[in-house]
Parts: sequence; C-alpha cells; structure tokens
Amino acid sequence: MKNYKNKILIGIGLITLVAAAACRKSEKFPVDKVSGIYIFDPRDSAGTQALKYLLNVYSVVEIGHNRVGGDYLDAASDDAVSSSPGGQVTILATAGYTAIDLPANENVWSSTNSTNTANYWNGIRSATEFMAGIDVVPVKDFVAPNGKINGIGVSTRYIWRNEARLLRAYFYFELVKRFGGVPLLGDKVYNVNDNIALPRSSFADCISYIVSECDKAKDSLITAPLINPAQDNYRVTQGAAMALKAKVLLYAASPAFNNPSGGNSNPLTGYPSYSASRWQLAATAASQLMAIGNYSLDPNFKNIFLTQNDPEVIMVRTANGTNPSNNVESNNGPVGFGSAVAQGRTSPTQELVDSYPMSNGLPITDPNSGYDPNNPYNNRDGRFYATILYNGAPWLGTTLQTYEGGISKPNNGQTETLTSYYMCKFMGPQTTSNFQGHDEDWVIFRYAEIKLDFAEARNETDGPVDSVYQQLKDLRLRAGIAPGADNMYGLTVGMTKDQMRAVIQNERRIEMAFEEQRYFDIRRWGIASTVMNQPLMGMSITNSNGNLTYNLIQVLQPKFVAPKMNVYPIPYDEVLKNPAIGQAHQNPGWSF
Amino acid sequence: MLMLAKTSYAALRDTTVTRSANTADWITGTVVNQDNRTLKDVKVYVNDSTTFVKTDEYGHFGVKAPAGTVLFFKAKDYNSTQVTVKDTAAITVRLLDTYLKSPHMIDVLYGSQSAESEVGAVSTIYTNQLTTTPASLYVYALPGQLPGLYTEQKSGFTSFSTTALFTNGFGQNFINASSQNNRSSDNSEFNITLRGQVPITIIDGVQREISSIDPESIESITVLKDALSTMLLGINSSRGVLLVTTKKAEEGKPRISFTAETGIQQSLSLPTPLSAYQYSYLYNEALNNDGQPPFYTAADFDAYKNHTDPIGHPDVNWFNTILRKNAPETAYKLNVDGGSRIAKYTVGLSYYDQSGIFNTAPGAAYNTNNDLNRYIINSDVSVQVNKNLSVDLQLFGRVEQTREPGGGEANILNLLYNTPNNAYPVYNPNGSFGGSNLGSAYNNNLLAMTEFSGYIQNNTNDILANLDLNYNLNSVTKGLTLKLKGNLSYQSENSLDRSLQNSSYLFNKDSTYTAIGKTISESNLFTTLYTARQSFGQASLNYNRQFGKSNFSGLLLYDTKSLVSNYDLSAVTTDRALKGAYNYDGKYFVEAVVNSSGYNRYTPGKQYGLFYAGGLGWQMGKESFIKDNFDWITSWKWRGTYGTTGNNNVDTYSYYGYVQTYSGSNVNYSYYTGTGRNEQFTVYDNSLANPYLSWEKAHKLDFGTDISLFKDHLQITADYYHDKYYDLLQQRGATIALLGTAYPYENIGVDLYKGFEFSATYNNNIDKLNYFITGNFSTQASKVIYSDEETPLYPWNAHTGLPVNAMFGYEAEGFYGPNATNTPTFSGYTPKAGDVKLKDLNGDGVINQFDEAPIGNLKPLMFYGASLGINYQGFSISVILQGVLNRTVSVDNSEYQPFAGLGFLGSAPQGQAYQDATARWTPETASTAQLPELSFLNEKFGSGYNTAFSSFWLRNGDYIRLKNAEIGYTLPYSIARKLKFSNIRVFVNGENLYTIAGFKGQDPEVNLSDGDPYPIQRVFNAGISVKL
Repeated sequence: MKNYKNKILIGIGLITLVAAAACRKSEKFPVDKVSGIYIFDPRDSAGTQALKYLLNVYSVVEIGHNRVGGDYLDAASDDAVSSSPGGQVTILATAGYTAIDLPANENVWSSTNSTNTANYWNGIRSATEFMAGIDVVPVKDFVAPNGKINGIGVSTRYIWRNEARLLRAYFYFELVKRFGGVPLLGDKVYNVNDNIALPRSSFADCISYIVSECDKAKDSLITAPLINPAQDNYRVTQGAAMALKAKVLLYAASPAFNNPSGGNSNPLTGYPSYSASRWQLAATAASQLMAIGNYSLDPNFKNIFLTQNDPEVIMVRTANGTNPSNNVESNNGPVGFGSAVAQGRTSPTQELVDSYPMSNGLPITDPNSGYDPNNPYNNRDGRFYATILYNGAPWLGTTLQTYEGGISKPNNGQTETLTSYYMCKFMGPQTTSNFQGHDEDWVIFRYAEIKLDFAEARNETDGPVDSVYQQLKDLRLRAGIAPGADNMYGLTVGMTKDQMRAVIQNERRIEMAFEEQRYFDIRRWGIASTVMNQPLMGMSITNSNGNLTYNLIQVLQPKFVAPKMNVYPIPYDEVLKNPAIGQAHQNPGWSF
Repeated sequence: MLMLAKTSYAALRDTTVTRSANTADWITGTVVNQDNRTLKDVKVYVNDSTTFVKTDEYGHFGVKAPAGTVLFFKAKDYNSTQVTVKDTAAITVRLLDTYLKSPHMIDVLYGSQSAESEVGAVSTIYTNQLTTTPASLYVYALPGQLPGLYTEQKSGFTSFSTTALFTNGFGQNFINASSQNNRSSDNSEFNITLRGQVPITIIDGVQREISSIDPESIESITVLKDALSTMLLGINSSRGVLLVTTKKAEEGKPRISFTAETGIQQSLSLPTPLSAYQYSYLYNEALNNDGQPPFYTAADFDAYKNHTDPIGHPDVNWFNTILRKNAPETAYKLNVDGGSRIAKYTVGLSYYDQSGIFNTAPGAAYNTNNDLNRYIINSDVSVQVNKNLSVDLQLFGRVEQTREPGGGEANILNLLYNTPNNAYPVYNPNGSFGGSNLGSAYNNNLLAMTEFSGYIQNNTNDILANLDLNYNLNSVTKGLTLKLKGNLSYQSENSLDRSLQNSSYLFNKDSTYTAIGKTISESNLFTTLYTARQSFGQASLNYNRQFGKSNFSGLLLYDTKSLVSNYDLSAVTTDRALKGAYNYDGKYFVEAVVNSSGYNRYTPGKQYGLFYAGGLGWQMGKESFIKDNFDWITSWKWRGTYGTTGNNNVDTYSYYGYVQTYSGSNVNYSYYTGTGRNEQFTVYDNSLANPYLSWEKAHKLDFGTDISLFKDHLQITADYYHDKYYDLLQQRGATIALLGTAYPYENIGVDLYKGFEFSATYNNNIDKLNYFITGNFSTQASKVIYSDEETPLYPWNAHTGLPVNAMFGYEAEGFYGPNATNTPTFSGYTPKAGDVKLKDLNGDGVINQFDEAPIGNLKPLMFYGASLGINYQGFSISVILQGVLNRTVSVDNSEYQPFAGLGFLGSAPQGQAYQDATARWTPETASTAQLPELSFLNEKFGSGYNTAFSSFWLRNGDYIRLKNAEIGYTLPYSIARKLKFSNIRVFVNGENLYTIAGFKGQDPEVNLSDGDPYPIQRVFNAGISVKL
C-alpha cells in the first residue's frame, strides 16, 4: 500500500516535471500577421511601413480616365456620348438610375470596385486611421539641400499627417458634390462595437468642415515647385489644399446649393438661405492661391496631361503602371487602324464641338467669326484641336476618315464613333503609325481651373471687372487665340454680368472638357434640366467623290429631372441599414 | 437442470470428445462462435421445453437428450440454431453473429456504459452492418442506418490536389475551412450531417477525420446526438459526434481472419450526348432563333448523319471513348488477435485498391487511370502490468497513393461534359491527335489528356501512436481508476506531378495539318500539400461504485489537444470537465456534466467558456404497474437531456481575428510615385478586428424513449430534439458603408433545428430461420430565427423564419407564348416567346432582387432507411434501403442547359448538349417543352434571363435507393473443420444497386453544378472470408 503511494507520488512528480519542461515560451500571436504595431512602429525611423499605409490612402483617389463603366464621366454630360451605349454613363445621361441601382462607378458611397478596397468611406477611414497612428512613428526630418526641412520647416511625420487630412477632405468633397450633406465622422476610428449609424450632417456643416480641414492642412504641406520631384511629385501640396478650398467654396456658392430664390429648403442638399457673400469667399480662396505664385499656365496645353511635374498641375493622381502607356489612346482612339488598335469609346457631341470659338476668339455663331459650315473645322480655337479628332484631323501619320464608311467609321457593327468625332485630349500627338507611350497621370487640380473659379466667383460678386476679363484672356492666349486689334481675344467689351457668366461657363466647358467638370457644372449651375433634356447631336458626313456633306443627326435623347437629380440618391441599402438616415433623410424626390 | 449441468462439469471435463459411458441419453457439447472461440451463457433448450441450461465459461453444456431430440441454442446477438441429437457423441455447435446487435455495454465518449443507464440520444451500428458495403470508406455504409444522420453522396472517387492547401505570404491568412480543427479529411465523397450539423469524428477517443479504416476492424460506429453525450468535448460539443471504436484484442489463442474480395464498379447516371447530327441541327436552330445565319450546311448535316467524313465531320461519343464501362476494385484484409490475460495483441492489415473509370492505352508503360491504393496497419498491444496497472499501446499507419491522369481528373471530366461530339476527331488520318481551333477548350485532345499525358499522384501518409494507462486506485478508494492517454499523430500529403501535354492537330481541307495547342514535356514536380502534427493528452479520474441500490459514478477529466498544420501556430483546445451520474435501482437516472473548455485563438481573457448539460432517465418498465400488469413489456425507458454547447469554428472565418491586421503586396494595391513612376506596394486594412469574437453556442434539448417488447424481439426508440443554435458567426445585416472597411464576422445568428427520429427493430426466428427487420425515419426542420437581415421591402424577400439554406430565386410559371404583352424586363432584356416566364412579384415591370422569393420545398426534410435480412443455416441475405423526402435539387447547370459550359460565341461549336435538349421550346412543341427556346444570346442564357436561378430549374429530389445488399453463405462447421478452418464464408454484395427517383435526368444525390463531379458508382462485389 505504502509502496504504491510512493510510486504514485514519483509518477506524478515525473509528469509534472515533463509538463513543466514542455511549457516553453511559445508564440502567442502569429508574427506573420501584420498588426497595427508593425505599420505604426515606434522603431521605424524611416517610416517605411507607415508610408506604405499613406500610399494606400493616396490610392483611393480615382483615376478619371474611362472611369465610369469604361467611359469618361463627361460622356454622361452634354459634351459626349459613349460609343457603346447602354453602359453606366448612358444610364446616368438618360436618368435611368434609382437608389437601388446607382451605376457602380458613381456609387462612391457604397460600391466596391476592382481597383480599390471600396469607396471614399474607405479612404476616409484609412486617412483617419493614419492620422491616429502616425504620431508614434519617429520619422526623421528630411533636410533638403537648401537647408530647409521639406521646404517649410516641419517634420515629415507632421506633413504626412496633414496629407492624410487633406486627402480625407478631398474624399468628403467627392461625396458631398454627389450626395449633398453626408455624415461627418471626425477623427474617431470606428470599431466593431461603435455606433456607426450616424445621421447626415447638413450641407453647410460639410462645407465648413472641408474648408476648415483644408485650412488646417495647408500650411503643413510641401509647396510647389517641388524640391525633389523625382520623389515627391505625387504628394498633395499646399496648393492642393488651397485649390480644394476654392473649389468647395465655388460649389457651395453655386445656384443648385444656394438658390437666390430660396427654393432650396432642405439643409441636406444646400443652404436653406441665400447669401451672396459665398461668392466672395470663393473668389478670395481662388485669389489667395493665385497670389502665392507657385503655379503658372503651361504654354503648351497638351503637355499638361502628358508630362510630370508640370508647372500648371496642382494635384495629380498618378497613373497605374511603371511604364509610359497609351491606355487613353487604345480605349478612345479612332477605330480602323490595324497597327494601333483602339476602341473609340468616346464620341464628343456636336454641342461640344460648336462651343469652341474660332481662332480669332469669336464664337461660330458670330457673323464675323469666319466660320464656314462646309469647312467647319478650320481656324478653330487651339483647344479644339487638342481635344477633338474630326474628319480630316492628322492622326497616326495620316488624316482621319470619319465620314460614313471611312476607315474610322466603317459602320461594320463594331464600336465606332457615333458623332464622327473622337476624343483626343490626354492623348499624345501620335504622329507615327504606332501609338507612342506617355505619362497618363490624372490631373485633379490645375491652375487654369483656379483662374476660372476666380473669374466665375468674382463676376458674381463684382460683375465683369478687369480681373475677370484678364483670366479669360490668359487662357485664350495660351489656347492660341489671336489677341486681335483690341487685345480682347475675341471677348466683347463691356459685357453684363449675365453675358460674362455665359462666356465663363462656355470657357470652362472647353478648357476643362473631359476632366470631370462639366457633369457637375451643369448641375450646380442649374442648367442641366435645359441641356440634358434636348437631343444630343452628332455629325454624319457623307463623302461623295471628295465632296463632304455635313448632316446633323441625333445620337442620344438624354434626360434630367430637376432639381431631384442635382444630387444622387443615397444608396437604398444604406438608407435602410442606417436608421439615423432612413427614408426621412433621403435626398428630396428619391424613394428608391 | 442448471444444477445438473454444473455438477456434471467435472466429470465431463476430460471426456468431452468421447462417448459418455454411464448415461446413454446424456449429451454434452461445446458452443463456439465463428472464430471458434467458446461461448458462455448460451441457452440450450431441449425440444420446445421452456427450461434450458446455460453453457459454462468454457462453452460446455450437458443435457439429458436421447437421440432424436432437438436441441435449441439461443444467445443474445447470435442467430439461433437447432441440432437434432443423433447419438451420444459430444457435439460442437457454432453460433453465427446476428446482423444487428444490441449489447449490454455501449460505447460513449471516452468510455463505455451500460445501455440501460444511457439517458442521451445515441444510435449504434456494428461490424456486420458495415462489412456488407464494398467501398473505399466506411462512410459508404452509413446511409440509411443511423437515425438522424443525413448523407449525400456527391462523388464516386476521392479528390485530388496539386497545389499546397495554403500559400504562405506577407499577411496572408490560413483559414481552416470545412473540417474544423482537422483540415485534412479523407472524405471527399460524402456530405454528412447529424441533426443538421457536420459531426466531429472521434476514433478510439481521439478526434481524427479519417474515414478510410477497414470496416472489419471497426467494432462499432455510434452517433452521439444530444448535448449530454458530447459535453466532454466542451467548446466543440455542439455538432454531434461520429464515434468510431475499433476492435480490441480478446484473450485466447491466436485467431487469424483473412478476407479477399473483388468487385466491379459502374458509373451511374451519365448523360446521353446528342449525336453530331442532332447537335448540329439544334445548333442551327439556336442560331436561327437569334436571327443569325446557320453555321452548318445541308452537306454538313448529311456528313454527320451518314458518317461519311469521320475526320472532317466527326461524331465522337467521348463518354464511350475515354470512359470504361467497368472498373475493378479489390480489398484484402488480414486480422490477427489473441493473447493471455497478461498481454493481448491485435494486428490488422488491409489493402484496398480502387480503379477509376478512365480507359488506359494498351501499351502504356505506367498506369494513367484514376487509382486509389491504400495500406493500413493497425496494431494494439495491451499489457496488464500488475493487478492495478494496464498499459495499452496502439499504433496506426496509413499509406495511401491516389493517382489521376496527367490531364487532371476534374479537368477531363469538365471537358468531357462540355465537348460536343463533332468538336474534333479522336485521331487524324496520320495518327496524330485530333483537335480544333474553334476554341481553347478543344486544343487538348480528350483522349490524349486521359491516356497519354502522364499522371499526377497524391501521397498521403498518416502515423499515429496512442498510449493508454489505466491505474486501478481501489487501494485509495474502491471504484476509483486513473486513466492517462497520450496521443501523437502526424499526417502529410504531397503531390507528385509527372504530367505532360500533347499537341493536337487540325486536319485541314487541303490535307495539311495545323498544330493546335502546345506540347509540354513531362514535368517532375513535387509539392508538399499539407502536414499536420497533432498531440492529445488526457487525464481522467473515474469513480464507479454501487452502494446497495444506489450507483454513483463520477469523472474528473482534463485534456488538451494541439494541432499544428503547415505554418500555422498551434491550435490548442483544452477541456476541464466534471461528470457525475447517479441511479437508483436501475430505475431513476440522473447525470450531469460541466466543462470549462477553451481555445487559444480567441482574445486573451475570453478564451474559456463554461458548457454544461444534464439528463434524467426513468425506467418505467421496472415499475410494478408495468411489470406486474404487462408482461410483454420488457423495458420502457424515458429519458431527456438539455445542455448548452459550443461550436468552435472561429478558424473558418478568421485567423486570430481579434487583432486588426493589414495586408500588402497585392497587384491591386500599389501606387506609383515620383517622376520615375516607382511602384510602391501599399498596405491596407484587412477586415475589421472583432475582439468580441466567440464560439457559436447552442441550447440543445432531447427527449426520447426506448421501448422493448416481447422479450426484446421488438425494440422501439423515438427521440424529439429541439436544438437552438445561437451566436452563429455571421456578418451583420447593417453593414453600413460609413465604417469604411469590411465588417468582421460576429456572433449574431440564431437557427433552430428540430425533428423527430423513430426507429423500430424486430428480430426473431422460426426454427432455423432467423430474420430481422429494422427501420428508421427522421425528420429535420430548420428555421432561421434571427439573421440580422436588412428589413425586407416585401414580405417574400425575407429569409428570417424560413428554413436554413432555403433556396431563393424567381418563381417561374412555364414559358411565354407568342402573344405575351407587358412582359417584365430583366436587366434590360424583354423576354420573348419561348423564354421562361418569371413572376414579377411586386408588379413593377422589372424582374430584380425584389422579386426573389423562397422557391423549392420548404417542408421539413425527411429521410429514412430500412434493413432486413434472414439467416438460415449459414445462408444469409441482407439489404439496406435508403430514401429521402421533401428534397429539392437544382439542374441549373451546364450539363442540363444545352450548349452551355464553354461559352457562348455563337460562331463556333460551343458547349455540349444532351438528350434533354430535344425537349426545347419551339412554337410547335410549346405545350410539351421542357427547356426554353434555344439561343446563344448572353442575355437569354449564360448570365442572362433564362438561366437566372428560378423554380424553373428545380426538380423533385426525392429518391429511394437499394443502397446495399448481400448474400452470403457460411460453410457448415464440420466442413470448415475438415479444411482446418474455423470458419469459411463466401459472399456477394453490391452498392447503389437500384434507385427510384422523382427526377430522372441525373443522379438524385450528385449535384452536377458542383464542379462536374466524378460519377457515383454501382458496385458488384464478391469475396471470401476465412478464419483460422
């Protein structure tokens, strides 16, 4: 009996010993998993991982080239139609969407797409998370050759933090310009048990928030011209913050959100009361950016979109891919070239073509303009040639045939231009029979837009004063329009405010075509219900032994319901899932 | 009489084989079983008297029986037999096992207990119910035999893999997918659920997902269905257990048994392809419907019809070309056991070989057919070291090779199903492989892929060592024992790819050849697919003691299991359990278990949970009001259990998901910086961390009764269960986009499973004719109680309240006729005559998500099985029937839809079509059509309107199968003895013999949309089993 007890004791002792020996230190959490401590690492003095995270925030910014279902967003405006109708832009142009089926690429609220994890809410979260985490990373200051620390004397960490802040403000603006007021999440990083069912903030609060964020960020960002463009050309700068502010304020002052007749009573989709001072704020914001003098118009209009670190470019979304490419050409270039195969996706409308003045600056409707309807593409504004490919335009070392049955309009059932025009903005000159690659960065802000912002706002406050005229003259000079004897570049002297407004709107249209401006401009100006409810036209050119006949044809009957469509509906699912929004706070006129 | 037998024993002992001198009508003898081992407690009746003697512990008996009397021999779980006494020579009587058994002790988790004290819901089948099924896995024998266990055979062969199950990388997750905790299950042929949940397999007390153990070495398979029976699994106790107990050594002289069997397999329900002529005719019809010019000319039709141009106009039935009608399978099994009281041993060796359905080239240097080749060795040695300590060491090894053609079994079957008869000829005139340039699917000749492309081999090796120590602590207090169990196992799976590819050639009209596809020389690629180490340790203190009429038992248990698979950190599950049971006089039973159980992949501090269950039982049959009034009631027990269980399936959804993690280096996540356009890989958030992540839980109630009538001839068991699963890991419905990242899985859902199980068994004998019939019937209803779904806009959109896995789709009502007006559109397409008519439930003129409603059968699933058989003087027949009711299957797959499968180019032969295509809609056959009007338009087929998931494609999935039958003959004992064997048995049996199904287009169990599965097989098998 006792003997057994001893044996048992020895046995238990042995087991305990073995168990203790087996209790070696083991990995409690897999080190192959990248947790937050690895991204925002207090020992990462170069901030390598944190920078990768910041680049993730950058990558949420969208590239506009053929962004919406393979088309430019502008193909949903009166500037162009898709050569392959039925896609997302056609749905947008013909008002064929509801809260359930907002076209995916414009549903920046809740859809996910192939290139990014999700949408702008994802970008907002990532930016906030970066701002919350970056403080622990001991990023060393970058000392530039001239002794300045990144140019403006603050640490890289702080600059990064404000880059994220500005990007976040930009994402908010992209939401607000489409949906009106959105929930403002602030600096909180929401976790799984936090209540994220937040109500929409008013349009006014959203504008104030975005503007104040731009103000907070602007003096802590690097400035143009860049000291080290080889490294930094993708980064948002002080100029970007000021440009965003100017644009936000311009939108906020616009009629759709700020109706002088007081018709916009819903605080979610605009200001309940009218205030003319909002134009003043916009004009000031634009003039402040102009005053710092860091940017200038590139004398070569085409080069803005083809070269990096261009003096005119204020903010850019770098193209994907390491090598120069010609995706723009292959998607939108004229069809019919075996050595340079292209899809011809985008068909600019006759309306856009007709809005370009002659090279003397006079509109084609002016009897003195010298416009010849039988030779309509002669002597036009330089921007016309930089934007539109027409029948007879030089292309790939030959001249383009877009008459019926021509090489680039063969009518063989394949996708081809519907209007006899192809888009060539963003494309290289393409003078040889094969496409030549080039940079395809997407320009988000450029100096010309600031000048237009200023002109528009200043005209609304003070009427067509000299400084308004001057902006247009600058742009027209760069466009190659002759100054004329009166040095007015075709502009009429002594216009009224309304006349000047029309000129500025047209100038913005032709200067900024295909840059995702027109689609929103016609909404904020309140002219969408006019221009998008009449047929969009194209040209049908018949070639009879070299004699060309031009016939206008209808290419699309668009549709727009005002004022409901000034903003998109909040996606139905999100209204349903978030009781703080609910149907009660859906945008006016939208059910689902 | 009994006294007589006992007193005569001493006298008989030395004279068993000689004539008893002193009493002329005294007959003595021995009763043995089929292993030639003596049987005790066999009742020996003389003529039809009601008195009997029992054999003693040496199997001997002696009765007064003059010549001409008939002796009846009866024992529980043995077939009754009778012997006519001829003279006074000592006789030896052999009793054969019954097909069904109901032993006194039944296997439960980590032990065994008397059947009468069991209060949970358990069902058991024994060796003889398993060995009639000729198959690669014991799982094949389960359908229809265990109430509550639902099976679906999805494939007829094991699956193959050539890529590592998980790839390592920066921030990549390894997710334990289907089989929780043990990733590598060898069962890829059956879906099994027990009361709606995938059960955990426990073999000899250790969780192991091995389904390939030789049925002859299995003693029993038990399903544990209620909370109390599984509670010792703690955090894994929700899902029910398939408990496999292998045979243990018995004391005695060595017994050796050897079985050899061989069978042929035939594929079931292969579709009938259209001939090239029919195919081309319907192809043109489809083009015509689309307004396209015809592809085939009248000359083509003639050539196809008359087979005048076998090269240019081939008509190849690929099923007949690359598949064989019969494929053999073979099994050899050797089992040896024996030993003394001190040391016992058992050794089992088995070999199994299953050939596949593919043809092989006559001159091939090596096998290219599918093949499964497996050796299993299982040995067990138990030693009684001293009167208190016993040690049991088990070693198990499995070496398995599976092989598939170099073209890849799954790939070949996919192309086989989708290649039309006229795609290309098998061989060209010059002997090269035929091919076609009309589609990339036709550039690798099917015959070449099958027979001339080398092979791919998977090697799976398992070893397992199990050490059990039992220490009797009676010295401490009576009835106390200590058990220690240690288990180590190692598994590896690798792939050897020695495949190649041949060019095929297009024979042009000008008699030239164009090479199609490319030649790839034989590769020699070795990949480790999976390795796993599992260690399991268990210590338990058992107590069992009778005090008067009171019986106490208790168990204190600790165990820990660690699984390391590939590069994962070890997954550690720990249980700390206490169990207590009490019964009074075998009448009143109470039992309870608490288990503090945990898993190391939850948030620290939230890794352990408390799980508990209790049960009550009442043996009403022992109460005097039954016993005294109804003597035909042998026993009537009521029992009920209730418990809170856990289902540790967190690894299915995340790997250490409680900490926010990030990923990078994905092509979609790079950014280009600087004027040099430098590619920078970005880092992005994985789905949101959920630090509150926990296991799924359930409240499980079971209430049942066991009734035994007419001296145990009729046994009835009925159970009702009500299992409410909650905290199910789901993504919340309100996934608000404002969060800005993917929502994690959270403990949200609530599902209810409830049902009724009934089984009845009758067995008896009429003289030498023993017979039995047993049947079971189960119902299983499920209901989504909560799933946090978005508030549905229309009531028919709601999933909550419907059965779990209810099919959702559009409601179809026949076809549109020629004069349809106001037809609702679908993604912009307006249906036309001959298209499926889908109901626009909300009447908005558009068929969209708001018109989706539950379709298919929503009634509770019902399944049943029956076995019956007879045994007459060594001649035995048994059959197993199995069936399902209220089942719906979908035929929305490319084998049923004509021309589907490979694409819809419309300008070239695309996809295959089968006989069912002839029942397509045409204006003339509108009333009898089974399929919509043929078309190649994507908006109609493909991703379009007609093939949208709707009730049009649903079929009745009810079936009844003659799952298994066996006819066997055991040679008379005398003959066997003359041949120096103790037992010789010959048998023929079969599997999947006959099926009656509600829908005849395809096999009712096989889902063809599930990746063109290997057809399930009908097997005819014959064998011989001898015991030394």
